[in-house]
Amino acid sequence: MATFWDIFHLLTETPIFFVAIIGLTWGIMGGALPGISASITMALVLPFTYAMDPAQAIALLACVYIGAEYGGSIPAILIRTPGTNSSAATVIDGYEMNRQGRAGEALGISLMSGVVGSLFGLAMLILLTEPLSWLALAFTPASYFGLGILGLSVIASMSGGSLIKGLCAATVGLMISTVGTDPISGVTRFTFDVPDLIGGIEPVLVMVGLFALTELMSQSGSVGMARLNASIRIKLPSWQMMNKLKRSQFIGCILGLFEGLTPGGGGSIAAFMSYNEARRWSKTPQLFGKGSEEGVAAPETANNTVASTAMIPLLSFGIPSSNSTAVLLGGLLMHGLIPGPRLFEQSAQVIDSIYVGSFIAIIAQIGVGIVILPACIWLVNRPRHYRAGFIFALILSGIYTLNNSLFDLGIALGLGVVGFFMRLARFPVLPMILGVVLGHMVESSYRRSLVLSGGDLRVFLEDPIAVALLSLALIFIVFSLAREIRDARKAKLKEAHS
Amino acid sequence: MSIIKMIGKAATGLAALALLSSGPAFAEPAAYPVKVVTLVTHSSPGGGSDVFLREMTKYLGKYINATFVVENVQGGSGAKAMARVASAPADGSVFYATTPTYIYTSLMSKPQSTYKDMQPLVNFFLDSEVIFTRTDGPFKSLKDVIDHAKKERGKWGAANPASLERQAAEQLKRVAGVNAAIVTHEGGGDMMLNVMNGTLDIGIGEIQELRSQLDAGKIKLLATFNPERIVDKPDVPTVKESGFDVSFVKFRGLAGPKGLADATAAIWDKAVIEVLNDPEYKKAYSAEVLVAKPIDHKEYPGFVNNFATTTEEFLKTTGAIK
Amino acid sequence: MNKDILSGVVLLAIAGIYYTWSTRIADSTLSDEIGADGLPKMLAILLGVLAVCLIGRTVLAMGLRAAAATATKAETEEEEDDNAPLPRALGFLAFGAAYVFLLPFVGYIVATALLIGTIAIYEGAPRRSWIVLAAAIGGGLFYWAIFVKLLGVNQPMGSIFQGLF
Repeated sequence: MATFWDIFHLLTETPIFFVAIIGLTWGIMGGALPGISASITMALVLPFTYAMDPAQAIALLACVYIGAEYGGSIPAILIRTPGTNSSAATVIDGYEMNRQGRAGEALGISLMSGVVGSLFGLAMLILLTEPLSWLALAFTPASYFGLGILGLSVIASMSGGSLIKGLCAATVGLMISTVGTDPISGVTRFTFDVPDLIGGIEPVLVMVGLFALTELMSQSGSVGMARLNASIRIKLPSWQMMNKLKRSQFIGCILGLFEGLTPGGGGSIAAFMSYNEARRWSKTPQLFGKGSEEGVAAPETANNTVASTAMIPLLSFGIPSSNSTAVLLGGLLMHGLIPGPRLFEQSAQVIDSIYVGSFIAIIAQIGVGIVILPACIWLVNRPRHYRAGFIFALILSGIYTLNNSLFDLGIALGLGVVGFFMRLARFPVLPMILGVVLGHMVESSYRRSLVLSGGDLRVFLEDPIAVALLSLALIFIVFSLAREIRDARKAKLKEAHS
Repeated sequence: MSIIKMIGKAATGLAALALLSSGPAFAEPAAYPVKVVTLVTHSSPGGGSDVFLREMTKYLGKYINATFVVENVQGGSGAKAMARVASAPADGSVFYATTPTYIYTSLMSKPQSTYKDMQPLVNFFLDSEVIFTRTDGPFKSLKDVIDHAKKERGKWGAANPASLERQAAEQLKRVAGVNAAIVTHEGGGDMMLNVMNGTLDIGIGEIQELRSQLDAGKIKLLATFNPERIVDKPDVPTVKESGFDVSFVKFRGLAGPKGLADATAAIWDKAVIEVLNDPEYKKAYSAEVLVAKPIDHKEYPGFVNNFATTTEEFLKTTGAIK
Repeated sequence: MNKDILSGVVLLAIAGIYYTWSTRIADSTLSDEIGADGLPKMLAILLGVLAVCLIGRTVLAMGLRAAAATATKAETEEEEDDNAPLPRALGFLAFGAAYVFLLPFVGYIVATALLIGTIAIYEGAPRRSWIVLAAAIGGGLFYWAIFVKLLGVNQPMGSIFQGLF
């Protein structure tokens, strides 16, 4: 543990300060470009870190990660395109607020929620790495299955009125997730000998197709939402508003903490689940999906928390829980640093500079946000005929970046058509995205558990974490069904009266 | 994704730096037909092969008069990287950093370009494949693990579904004649957690991925699949010594487009030996428990083809491919 | 035909095709008891059942409504939303398809400029205006600066220009 003087010394030393700000700004920019995920943003600066001092290099990467996780929310709110996978849930209410001319407010909320989440995550990282790392160890394949099912149970309440349609969409999403290499046997499925499909269809293609391209298509030729935001000012939430958001941010912090610890997450599950939970515990659940401030705060707090807590398994076990932390691991290895308990003893300076750098970056995020966000709002408020082309080109360029693949562009365009038809036929897209995101985890952990137990289904009942998560999922589903039936009855009564 | 032009630029700079810093103490680097050599990897920036290559390019420039650039061509478990290299000019400017993955992908996924469309150039290293367990667990030796699997069902982990580790596990199971569930994972880290929390009896993986917990004393090695003991870990027996006739080599080398001039290949034969003897590099790679295993361009194709044939037979008998 | 019934039929077709494909997944002894085709087959059946439910429910609802002989006008009116008409929306996407097709030939800058320019005209920018031209060229160069120069993405530079460099 660092002494006060160590930290004071690091703070007053200029480089770490600049490193943090540069890393943060780069991260926000990369995260804000659709298709450029947090991990790619980090990979892009990796070569520059060779020549740097190890402590600064790792701090830089950590700050880029923080910036990128936040940056993803900017296009999610402004152009209905999640910049990173984990900002997909922010699209729902963030973009709705933008449509209502409240872009400045939405961006302010996501900015401050990001800061809250990051600070909480950093506090956990500094104070509780040791006990929390053992929690990460308690997750067996059966527990992961429980987690995946819990994630899928959100579908029941995200189907926007028609459960059957929601389930259809989720099933199609799960089908998309089966494309590629089978996680257990390694045989290829639905790849039709196309090499681009061996690795599967990336969730971000589905998100961009269903959210962004569909939106662009349906806006075509219309005058709808041209220059809705009269003001380009950023409106930071007032104390009153922060007080209102407290509950959803708390939910985001807790779920983000857990997802950061568990390998394979990366923030999207926590973001979706905290959105759902924030709605469940909200005083005004009816506003969710119609521009609720809490609907922006919860997922943004969650995914920013993940950016810090994902370091816990990385630093204590050397296990990257997401693509982004995998790049960070590469950075550590390049400087000859081997993560693990001994890193804390042998390279205390590196650990300290991660802490200090992250702290500076989180605080600086407010300032950087206030400077760049008005420019972003201004940009998306250009005349519609130019804006459409620029956004379209931006999305296509970003997708290409993923794998340098024209095939990926084709898939995204195809999914844009699918999304448009889904909109016409009133199918909800969120369940489909959840299916794509979670399909792999649910299938592989289920089958892995059964291989371990020799086909005995009791394996799911003997694992306490799995039991807890599966029971929660069951409770959620029952509650959502009850609500759906109740709402349907109400609607019928209303119809009868009118 | 070959997006990483900048990485290339940085590597160029680094290679230049390495050249400068090598100083006059070393012999002049050998003349080479092209100025820039691109080493293609299917690993993402920061991934295993990528880190390995970047480290090596720092030293290669001392012995071959060219600038070395690493290009990441991700996607399709190497299918894209193979297509990129197979169609590149055979003037010694583009090589693919090979590991057994490219054989597996060629055999299982039938991509447009396979290992057969490339010419193995030289080998650098063997990775050490090891069997490990948790330190406070019930197993003290590989024999304990096998005995346990004879009495009741063993639980063994392999990092990826179709990989050398998987093949090693299946072979061991067959040779020992025991019943063990072989559980595949999403990579080595995921598997290590399951070994540490006792879900799995043992894991089979690369020693590099285990270093943090090995250093911390949370896991220990039971045996290695290498044909010989690991120099840095003399106490760890080979699987063969433990009584089971299974051994595997995970190679790390280069392959290029077909038709490379013999003279160019000969420059590499010499450079491989020189770079592996570089005292600074030796220190770096020994720390990572890589075993130096130079194989020249005449023998290497035979070595790789032999590996491919064994693998193909294995995959065919298991029905994974037809 | 009713939208829901049509969607149900489409989903049923997807389920059928997907099931047929999943029977072609290779069988491997490296696999577990569930197998690589286990989940896909289950999903296909699930989707089939859901599609039948959707069709059934809609038909039932239509039947009830017909019996009540109430006009469904109210509902159709509600379905009018701010979506662009289908041909227009698909037309928009066609520019994207053209972009994908042209990208390897004309290169990133030209393709991007063409996309921005043609979309601007499609979306009603005044034709023959120098602003469209400036926006297109400026946009192409701007994105090239960000993606190719700053981020180092290997965007195609165009096979028709290959001889020039």
